[in-house]
Amino acid sequence: MGALSKKMLLGSAMALAVVAGSAGALMAQDKPVIATVVKISGIPWFDRMETGVTQFQKDNPDVVATQYGPATADAAQQLQIVNDLVAKGVNGLAVVPMDPSVLEGTLKRAMDRGVIVVTHEADNQKNTHADVEAFDNADYGRALNERLAECMGGKGKWTTFVGSVGSRTHMQWVGAGEENAKKHPDMVLVDKNNESFDDANGTYEKAKEILRKHPDIKGFQTSAGNDVLGVGRAIDEAGLSGKVCLVGTGLPNPSADLLESGAITAIGFWDPQKAGMAMNSVAKSLIAGKKIEDGADLGVPGYEKVKVVKGPGEGVLIIGNGMVIADKANYKEYLF
Amino acid sequence: MRTTGGQLFMLVVINAALLAVGAMISGGTYLSPFNLQSMAGQLPEIGFLAIGVMLAMCAGNGGIDLSGIALANLSGVASAIIVGSFLSSTDNETAFSIAFIAVALLTGLIGGTFNGLLISRLNITPILCTLGTQMLFTGIAVVLSDGRAVAVGSPELLSQIGNGLFLGVPISFLIFVSAAGLIAALLKFTPFGLWLMLMGTNPKAATFAGFPKARVLIATYATSGLLAGLAGVIIAARNVNVKWDYGTSYLLIAILIAVMAGVRPEGGYGRVICVVMATIALQLMSSLLNFGGLSNFVRDFAWGALLLTFLAVGRYNLVGLLTPNKSRKLV
Repeated sequence: MGALSKKMLLGSAMALAVVAGSAGALMAQDKPVIATVVKISGIPWFDRMETGVTQFQKDNPDVVATQYGPATADAAQQLQIVNDLVAKGVNGLAVVPMDPSVLEGTLKRAMDRGVIVVTHEADNQKNTHADVEAFDNADYGRALNERLAECMGGKGKWTTFVGSVGSRTHMQWVGAGEENAKKHPDMVLVDKNNESFDDANGTYEKAKEILRKHPDIKGFQTSAGNDVLGVGRAIDEAGLSGKVCLVGTGLPNPSADLLESGAITAIGFWDPQKAGMAMNSVAKSLIAGKKIEDGADLGVPGYEKVKVVKGPGEGVLIIGNGMVIADKANYKEYLF
Repeated sequence: MRTTGGQLFMLVVINAALLAVGAMISGGTYLSPFNLQSMAGQLPEIGFLAIGVMLAMCAGNGGIDLSGIALANLSGVASAIIVGSFLSSTDNETAFSIAFIAVALLTGLIGGTFNGLLISRLNITPILCTLGTQMLFTGIAVVLSDGRAVAVGSPELLSQIGNGLFLGVPISFLIFVSAAGLIAALLKFTPFGLWLMLMGTNPKAATFAGFPKARVLIATYATSGLLAGLAGVIIAARNVNVKWDYGTSYLLIAILIAVMAGVRPEGGYGRVICVVMATIALQLMSSLLNFGGLSNFVRDFAWGALLLTFLAVGRYNLVGLLTPNKSRKLV
């Protein structure tokens, strides 16, 4: 190291000490700060959630609510954001974990610092005060199936798609669907639990196979977000739009064309906007020292009468009724 | 060899500037002991990987180690599964911790040696070899863990490494600084260090001078692997659980840090202190942007701008132009 850089090193160290000394006092924060941390920024789902956070901020001027998210889908990056926000001194965190298990250590450190932690889409998260879920998985699966049965007139062959048989929520959805279909003895389940791996192209190929194997099939119930697109395309190309029913999880914008053509009967989803508002609402109540009781109203549509049960850790599991089943007639209300 | 006191000088200035800016925009919170601890606790995992990349780059002949984070994850996953199968992290806290660390480091060492053997004995280009082993390590971790996160738990010793403080400094940061110091000493005072740098400067001359080339290469990549193992231990200690796909973004960031630190991609030059300073600079900047509430895409942009600035500084000796009494000619 040259003499000059040594001098500079010393100089900057001294400058630093001065800065540190002068800025010693922490800025007093009068309003509670709630930071929403999503899995990844810049994708439609979480852009939609951000509109909810912005809305919550507008409705609640007595808190500061903002949304953060990593630029890449990597748990490590999300974790750094959470760490920095805790260090910055937020009062509440509303996190949609990229990977609940990897975030446990960080969330525990946050809770130890007295930060209120609320999570979403993580009903297995141990280190959280409250996990907010949009709906009960069984209710959702049942609702999808009921919509399918209505379209099928309660009879005919039908099948199910899941992202993978290892996906817990998807299996819960189709499981509840199967239960529900027992109410309609004329509905016959064939070749169930096809794996789509959330790949629209692969699903398209598989749906074509099923249409060939069972020319008289009447219904599809799908689970992963891209399944409706793949199956819908297969139905559309086979000229069966409107004759074969398709109900599954999907997003309004990508599904718009197929909903219009009638290839997709209805899509089910929950609105990330409302979920974002619900998380912030729970965080605000918890920061104020209130408890969320069973049947409480979070003041967000779909979360007016939430079910509260014990979570896997110390915290609670808050389940709303925020499911949306949209069809050709009303999907335009939810463009995202 | 060129002198690049200028690089270190730049890095120190940038670090000081970032701290000053942070203090300004946050009204002091940025310099609060808790945030300094939080930042110091965050940077070791990527710092270890960056030093590994630096070592590989110094070896010349297109040396690079892309398998770092994959090997770190494999170390954590393999160790958690192997040690977890005969020890419980709640009953034998110390024994579990020590065994976990030992197996993780050993896994890293074996993985790194494997890289070194492939590169030196089979003459595979490092970028292709480590790209291949990166997939191999990731694949093994997926198969071992079934693609799921593996619980390590927080036994006393490991939890201390991940969350503990010594005299107000995070223990993980102290481990990082000591390991960096050891590597720096290794490069400066041992024949290995001299061989590595000279070999990177001119591989042909090294061959004719009768350097033990293969052994130096193996030792280099083995050290890099060992550092990846260490990163795996820190990750496990901080996160309680380990998963095969953790930190996929670290791969490029580690290379970015090495280049920012003035490590010559053609080989033959690199200083550990600069890598440590560059790691700190990146951490300061990313925390600063989070403090400012800016989008994380701005961070990528800022890193890119910083990297280009550093390349320009290295190329055109800007520091020399600014400080006339120091305008030594850079080669």
